[in-house]
Amino acid sequence: MKDRLADALKASRADFTEIRIERTWSSSVSFRGKRLESATASEDQGGFVRVADKGYGWGIAAFTSLDELPAMVRRARELSRAVRLDEPIRLAEVPPSQAEAILDLDGDVRGVPLAEKRRLLEGYNGEMLAVPGVVDTQAVYRDEVTEYWFGNSEGTLLHELRPEITLSGQAIARRDGTIEKGLESIGLRKGWNSAADHAAGFREVALRAAALLDAPTVIGGTYPVVLDNELAGVFIHEAFGHLSEADFVYENAQAREMMTLGRRFGRPVLNVGDNGAASGLRGTLPFDDEGTPTQDTALIRDGVLVGRLHSRETAAALGERPTGNARAISFRHAPIVRMTNTYIAAGQGTVPDLMQDIKLGVYACGAFGGQTLLENFSFTAAYGRMIRDGAPAELVKDVVLAGSLFQTLDRIERIAGDFRWNQMGGGCGKGGQFPLAVTEGGPHVRIEAALVGGDVPA
Amino acid sequence: MIERLVAAIRSRADGGDALWRQSEHTTVAFESGRLKACGITEETGVNLRVLHNGKVGVAGTTTTDLDDLLSRALASAELGEPVAIAFPDAGALPDVATHDATAADASLDHLTSIGAELVSRLTRPGCQINVSIEREIAATRVVGTGGVDASYRATGVAVSVDLARFAGDDVLFLSDQYQGTDLPTARDLDALVRTIDERYDRALTVAAPPEGTLPIVFTPQGLSAILLPVRQALSGKVVLQGISPLATKIGEAVFDAAFSITDDPLQPRRPGSRPIDDEGTPSRRLPLVEQGVVRAFIYDLETAARAGTRSTGHGTRGTFGKPVADYTNMVVGSGEWGVGTSEIGGGLVAGVRDGLVIDELIGVGQGNVIGGAFSHPVALAYRIERGEITGRVKDAAVAGNVYELLKRIAGFGSDGRWQGSRWSPSLLLEGVSVARR
Repeated sequence: MKDRLADALKASRADFTEIRIERTWSSSVSFRGKRLESATASEDQGGFVRVADKGYGWGIAAFTSLDELPAMVRRARELSRAVRLDEPIRLAEVPPSQAEAILDLDGDVRGVPLAEKRRLLEGYNGEMLAVPGVVDTQAVYRDEVTEYWFGNSEGTLLHELRPEITLSGQAIARRDGTIEKGLESIGLRKGWNSAADHAAGFREVALRAAALLDAPTVIGGTYPVVLDNELAGVFIHEAFGHLSEADFVYENAQAREMMTLGRRFGRPVLNVGDNGAASGLRGTLPFDDEGTPTQDTALIRDGVLVGRLHSRETAAALGERPTGNARAISFRHAPIVRMTNTYIAAGQGTVPDLMQDIKLGVYACGAFGGQTLLENFSFTAAYGRMIRDGAPAELVKDVVLAGSLFQTLDRIERIAGDFRWNQMGGGCGKGGQFPLAVTEGGPHVRIEAALVGGDVPA
Repeated sequence: MIERLVAAIRSRADGGDALWRQSEHTTVAFESGRLKACGITEETGVNLRVLHNGKVGVAGTTTTDLDDLLSRALASAELGEPVAIAFPDAGALPDVATHDATAADASLDHLTSIGAELVSRLTRPGCQINVSIEREIAATRVVGTGGVDASYRATGVAVSVDLARFAGDDVLFLSDQYQGTDLPTARDLDALVRTIDERYDRALTVAAPPEGTLPIVFTPQGLSAILLPVRQALSGKVVLQGISPLATKIGEAVFDAAFSITDDPLQPRRPGSRPIDDEGTPSRRLPLVEQGVVRAFIYDLETAARAGTRSTGHGTRGTFGKPVADYTNMVVGSGEWGVGTSEIGGGLVAGVRDGLVIDELIGVGQGNVIGGAFSHPVALAYRIERGEITGRVKDAAVAGNVYELLKRIAGFGSDGRWQGSRWSPSLLLEGVSVARR
């Protein structure tokens, strides 16, 4: 395959050519309630060619028939020449790499019988079904190994084997008209050896779904809010991470002004980064999909914006260095600027320290999801507790946090020392590419005041 | 090659069906007002399902190794649950327009010229304009051991426009999309431009958000959050799981007496249109809610078999994974097609003393959707004061329960339009909680 790729690169008449080839073996098992939904193994393969001639734009061809590779290189060049550009595409320099980067498969999932995967998931699903009040469950096991080849006309040639494993569970509890849910989600760039010993997590979310049946909806309003590790991670991904993606600013002077390096985004306690090179996490890879090595990129240091995430194109446009954040969900798509493993760095102190002087507040825990729309964001906690007189009190539900990025980042006043990575499954969506494997991490974080949606007193 | 697959299923399993789909997708992208990239994606895939010893299994591939595909499907069936799926026989298919030769033959230059026209009409100082034109040509073939062997061709065209304006820390983001089997007409392009122009002009003033329990006009775009719980509840699968609030309500008046929802795969030239579903069941129009009364749920073959009913023709499958029941084209409203005015809110704003127009919410689908409760900050909303829009509202969040709100609909707008594969007018709903920060 490497030779076919190298030959196709050599035969290309375009000024710049890059080729990706992927073969993915995957299997998945899913349960709905007591019933197995499906247990299936899939095979997906295809190629991606992107070329640019000097003075022309990108020509892109993606295809499932690998025999077509040489023809697709020619086709991509024709498409490039249909796009006349006044300002040429420039790519930031990346030293060419030749690498055999076989990640630790951690127990190759391809060697494990489907029946064994089914048995494992049935056990986790059973943990949820056993909880009184739970009327329905969904449990999904998914694994894959992707063999990956990347090459470009500058001399980069990579061959990688990338594993991935995800486990998720949803427990639905119901009493009369009230329906509540709990979500468990685990995602790692690892293999079969990491699939065991997750029963407690599945049981816990089912117990919580049942407990939420008796919990009141949080009273809407503005409160001091403490985020747990998981929600702090989702918050920084949604509320800030997307704005740090340079494709959002590189062709827009006004947006660039909003995101000027050196601008103060928060108080000195706040440090934020994105680390695609961290070990074993879902967003971890040795190289991005342009062949740039991944790295730990500082985004906010001591409250001040110091960096952003780049592809080669955005880095060249802004005169900055590529960060290894050009990623594509598969051969069907072009690489775009994406996060990897995004984090708020640890501060100091414990969770009780964060809460001790809050008379009335909300402790928002876990994440059902989050979305950002430019400067506004929303994220839904899995559950919450009111904070009363400095300590967590009663369980509350429907905790939705909303706000403006700039105000909210600036209101982060204390950060605990208990950093941890989320290691959740799911994924990030952008530009029609979903789900991309990412994760987030953070310590407990205290926001001075944030809007919590919920029941509004009439 | 697909004939060989049916013969192989017959010899190695008790029954089965397969979906073969080949597609060519062309994209022309304008970034920040200039043409930046052209791309194509060519894809061929086969999704196979077998029934063996009473149990069902599935497998998918983009390779050409169909023997391996069948082996994987049989291995899947070995672990599968028993289900008595009856694969459809070869029946008569309804006639529905899904393919347009002009769209299929349109050159790259033609697609580019549509984008260039939109860019020039939408460009204004201080704003970033992105436009993309996508055209898909697909061939689909459904075969099964029940006797079905049907194929059809389809085209799909999507023209997306978005505008972003940054003024200090205020970000305004507007978007709209045309979708159909044909290239957009001049009128379709006018409508896109008008949607952006009107929303832009009214967004320049920022108004203070109101607070309390208020009447809200949900535009066709803004209705997504309101319709999502109902979409989920009308799925036969969710009913079968025992978590649909509508499970026991067939024949009961649950919604406003003027409110109807129909799933209609026979609408000509719509993205969800098809003569046959992905499992070989012929398409038909299916009223789900008629004048407030729940009439039907959507089913695919497997869910129907488990529920002891018949497939409604909603089987939908990709190359990977098993078929699921999904909607085709959803027509929502009072049953009146209306005149399709472009005015925001379709005439409903005039009747509101103090309230909001909601065009887009943030975080739709994140919460506890199935119960009907929602709570979202606004992404794009306008303040209504004394029957007029007085500006854009930024820092507000709305909350309510859709089953409560849809019991009484205070008004249907005259702005009915297609939004992707959903048709609806604006709806005026009373008693929505509005909080500000």
